[in-house]
Amino acid sequence: MSALDRPQNPATRFSAAVKTHGDASTEATLDRLGRPAQAGSRRLHRRWQDFGWALLYMSPALALFLTFTYVPFVRSILLSFYVTTSTGEPSRFNGGKYYARILNLDGSGQGEYLQSILTTVEFSLMVVPLSMITALALAVLATAKVKAIGIFRTIFTSSVAISVASAGVIWSLMYAPNVKVTKWLVEVLHLQPDNLLNNASTALAAVAFMTVWTSLGFNFIILLAGLQAIPQELYESGRLDGTTGWTAFRYVSLPLLTPTLMFLCIISTIQCFQAFTQFNVLIGNEGPDKATNVMVYALFTAFWKDNRYGFASALAVVLFVILLALTILQYRVLDRRVHYQ
Amino acid sequence: MSAQVSPAYRELHWGTYQAILLAKKAGTYFLLVLASMLVLFPLLFALSLALQGETIAPTLIPDVGKVDFSVFGQAFSKEKHLWRWILNSFVVSVAVTLGQLLTSVLAAYALSHLRFPAKPVFFFVFLGTLMIPWESTIIPNYLAITSWGWKDTYQGLIVPFLASGFGIFLLRQYFLTIPYDLYEASVIDGCGRTRYLWSILLPLSRPALGTLAVYAFLSTWNQYYWPLLVTDSTEWRTTQVGIAVFRSSEIAVYNLQMAATLIVLLPTLILLILGQRQLVRGLTEGALKG
Repeated sequence: MSALDRPQNPATRFSAAVKTHGDASTEATLDRLGRPAQAGSRRLHRRWQDFGWALLYMSPALALFLTFTYVPFVRSILLSFYVTTSTGEPSRFNGGKYYARILNLDGSGQGEYLQSILTTVEFSLMVVPLSMITALALAVLATAKVKAIGIFRTIFTSSVAISVASAGVIWSLMYAPNVKVTKWLVEVLHLQPDNLLNNASTALAAVAFMTVWTSLGFNFIILLAGLQAIPQELYESGRLDGTTGWTAFRYVSLPLLTPTLMFLCIISTIQCFQAFTQFNVLIGNEGPDKATNVMVYALFTAFWKDNRYGFASALAVVLFVILLALTILQYRVLDRRVHYQ
Repeated sequence: MSAQVSPAYRELHWGTYQAILLAKKAGTYFLLVLASMLVLFPLLFALSLALQGETIAPTLIPDVGKVDFSVFGQAFSKEKHLWRWILNSFVVSVAVTLGQLLTSVLAAYALSHLRFPAKPVFFFVFLGTLMIPWESTIIPNYLAITSWGWKDTYQGLIVPFLASGFGIFLLRQYFLTIPYDLYEASVIDGCGRTRYLWSILLPLSRPALGTLAVYAFLSTWNQYYWPLLVTDSTEWRTTQVGIAVFRSSEIAVYNLQMAATLIVLLPTLILLILGQRQLVRGLTEGALKG
């Protein structure tokens, strides 16, 4: 096999200094016999050889990341400073005007994009707490030591396997005004008998509620893993002190789960900032009075419907900065979690 | 932390103790079933609507006498492209899964087993991909795919997703748990690098490979934004975009919409049941690594 490998070994480029090119076994034997000078050069040789192989092994991933992540990322930043043609070619340098427009610093007084950022924040505030509390309740329930708990765990996990698009189709019917469940709900909550999704005051909450359901499975998995990682001895010593049920949860589980909760909170917020599918399937436009025009949807409109590639890129960069801040925060929290354990 | 609630049943009579335990158990099951019903409600709702036949005012529970299973067949005959969408999604998901396995295995092997200069640099190149969200690359990617004439092709749907930063770190982490001595010993015995990877490391890493496979398949199958952008004609749609389009074309036919949605959901639900352990491991790992 090593004989088969050698002909295409790019490492031979680096091996000019070493005259003999023995196979791996003799090389290792010589190393072990320990002739210092030669062993050292052997080791160096091996390092360069490893370098060649490493480059070869990493090259597919590197090429793909270069083509589809790094180059487009840089192009995105460049595009955001240009007015673009309808085919996405930069046509005129525009400086930071698009950014000024987004952040309403250009004096136009049109804060629609700032509003879009606020809508996204509002959406996250609706989704994240509700989803976390529900998922935590499910996770606590799923730690019960009863028979067939596995089946219940699978059920609680199920929304992970359900795509946001299919969930959107199902929920759009759950929100349809002529379905009896919705009628009943609308009456109980004294909502307008109109379609929940066509109403500026309920549309965002309706999408948020559906998102809670789709995110439940993931949050459940993480929280259950977090709960299971808490050493049983802590509960046992707690029981000796008389802590059971709610007090055990309040004074043992919750403090130990806090890092997981904080971490999940950030991850969920990031996911909310990236939400698009549910808005496209459930609403399909900017929503009544632009009530559901979240950032990614504004980006989609600028890019896909209006072909304003430069402006859309500026929006993408703003989104990237927000997400980067959240990601850095997430790694900080993660660091603390690792220390904690 | 003081003893506010003392376990009262310890002082109780044996029979009462049993009764309380039994009641607790029943209560737990009651809560579990209730929670399950709530979590599954949208799916049960979809099934109920699918089986009710064509009606504009569906009820919550279908009339048992009128339950109509032929709707699943009708979905296929009404939407001629449903088969094609499912095929597209399968081709794309399988290709992306295999591709991610291959590129991640190779890169993770280099990062975990080989010793070479500038390794931290490469490490950060891979780590950096996790920091860049797809929204900030999607416009140039879309422009590139269009200019290469890759719209409405399999390569347009597949190639951008063939490498995964998550996959690389997941596998690297697993490879590091396999003793390095094993590698050194194999090399001394004359085993080449590629052969060690193929015949020793990979068989030992099946759990991690399974995790990545399930995760990659699921996330590709459920993709929406990208297929929406790079497919124009109906036959090139994937299932997710397809059912959303189908919904708008059959807006009043509830049972068909729900039947088509359930058909599209079936593969991932089966995958969830079969690969739950792998998936859970993947998601918790992914959450840990970001």
